Amino acid sequence: MSNALALVRSRRWSIRRLQNWELTTGFFVVGLLLVASLLAPYLAPYPPNQVNVLVALQGPSWHHWMGTDFVGRDVWSRVLFGLRIDVLIVALITYLGLVVGVIIGTVSGYVGGWFDAIVGRVADTVVAFPFIVLVLAVVAIVGPGLKGVAIGIVIVGWALYARLARAEMLSLREQPFIMSTRALGYSHLRTIFRHALPNLVRTSLVYSTVDVVVNMLVLAGMSYLGLGQQAPGADLGSIIASGQGYLLSAWWITTLPGAVLVLFGFGVSLIGDGITRGDLAQGRL
Amino acid sequence: MTDPLLNVEELSIAFRQRRGELTVVRDVSFDVGVGEVVGLVGESGSGKSVSCRSILRLMPAHGVMRARAIEFLGRDVTKLSDRELRDHRRHNVGMVFQDPYSCLNPTQRVGEQVAEALRVNAGMSKIDARARTIELFESVGIDRGAERQRSYPHELSGGMRQRVMIAIAISAGPKLLIGDEPTTALDVTTQAQILALMSRLRDDTGMAVLLVSHDFGVVAQVCDRVVVMYGGRVMESGPVTQVCTEPQHPYTRALLESIPRLEAAGRRVRREGIPGQPPNPADVGEGCPFADRCAHASARCSSVDMSLRPVGPSHVTACPFVGEWSDPPGATESSRVGGPS
Repeated sequence: MSNALALVRSRRWSIRRLQNWELTTGFFVVGLLLVASLLAPYLAPYPPNQVNVLVALQGPSWHHWMGTDFVGRDVWSRVLFGLRIDVLIVALITYLGLVVGVIIGTVSGYVGGWFDAIVGRVADTVVAFPFIVLVLAVVAIVGPGLKGVAIGIVIVGWALYARLARAEMLSLREQPFIMSTRALGYSHLRTIFRHALPNLVRTSLVYSTVDVVVNMLVLAGMSYLGLGQQAPGADLGSIIASGQGYLLSAWWITTLPGAVLVLFGFGVSLIGDGITRGDLAQGRL
Repeated sequence: MTDPLLNVEELSIAFRQRRGELTVVRDVSFDVGVGEVVGLVGESGSGKSVSCRSILRLMPAHGVMRARAIEFLGRDVTKLSDRELRDHRRHNVGMVFQDPYSCLNPTQRVGEQVAEALRVNAGMSKIDARARTIELFESVGIDRGAERQRSYPHELSGGMRQRVMIAIAISAGPKLLIGDEPTTALDVTTQAQILALMSRLRDDTGMAVLLVSHDFGVVAQVCDRVVVMYGGRVMESGPVTQVCTEPQHPYTRALLESIPRLEAAGRRVRREGIPGQPPNPADVGEGCPFADRCAHASARCSSVDMSLRPVGPSHVTACPFVGEWSDPPGATESSRVGGPS
């Protein structure tokens, strides 16, 4: 009997595992890249900015896994350091936007009235505004560099979370369990943050996986345009940009860092899908 | 007659609409004594639910309540400041809602939710609250409390969840427990258990219970007194045995007659129920809201004065024509004394 039970258990376990292969794969890919970027100073075979013209424009080899660029810097080392700074900034700005947006949206949906009307219109305006133009405007004020881009992204980023959280709050507000917190005489802050927020943050978390990828691309794009990371610092966008003049003769400078960017985006998207799938399986969402 | 605990006087509730207001409760008065179990009965839309929520001033955003007074232990609830209102909600009244499936926070363990109520409303420390939670679970009939308190709401059955709700509602030792259709979403056996539990809690703690229900059977089982509502008005109110055996309002009588009975099993008795539909609140004006469906209605009913007239010891009715339609065998001497004036 116990054998049969164990079999059933293990089968269920493996099915569950299989069902959520997205989550597993996603975490594996993203985890690998995260660890690699965090350990960049230890993993990188060369200093990222070490110039050695004698080995300029060499293809991938055992010495230089991703080859070297036009002044002989090791592309793999630069990718590790570039990924590090990109991941750090993207995580920071995405989740700063999420926290700010979710709090504003939740409170706005709970309070309602004129406050909600103002927050709603501001968020609509920000969302409707051309994203890139706004980021460019901030860069124009702050000056080129990752800082300007990051500020620009946060200014835009909170609005979508605010709208998501507000919409969830509006339906949550009518839920009996929120009403029963009022019947119990709980304070508004307790109701909002202990009871409403944990129930609505899920949608925003799922959306943030999309947002991370988008922000990563914006950051890389800005660097590619020369408005983000400034030379000689490395981020994925600036590495890709630096190689485009050599695309035909030295393809590796542009394509291999690009592949890393794609791989990261792929992994994060898988995590998002996995979370959604897990919710559906549990009958939530 | 027990000491008064709650006294609702001339309560009216309206919902603000795009054009004007929609009155859903008109001049409702009732009272609850200390340790008394009072039933509030009526069809859906009769205004019983909003009426009982007014005791906690729990109104939807577009709801407006007016009352001459809602006195709870001598204090007028309608005049409390925000702070006093919060204290009133925390300490005086516990409320159990209809749907145990959506009344608990799905992201928190049930034990945490009970402990939170204890910490916030009874001012307990975390450790005391945890111990008390298990005691409370025991007193509401949840066995293996130490284990169950770690469950999430979706892991419990409807009856268990309703017990958790009751545990939360009584956590701060309220003087009045309001059950807003607490057994409607449960099956019959669980329903009986929950009702028995509420009666037992009344006996143990001496708190009064206001039980809102559309089911006369439920009310008859546990209540001392019953208030019958229809179309936002009180139709009749009195001791439960009196009202059930000698209803003094055509609506109450019709309601009692439409309850299916097990004795009729296999005999294919067809119960007509009450012809027609409950009124749309927008169409209810002066006069008796039941007139359209009443078998004894006449032209004067549309302008009749709906104030309550005594027909027996603490038994009142809104129908001034009781003597004309109630047949002698049912009506007692006392009910005729204070009859039509």
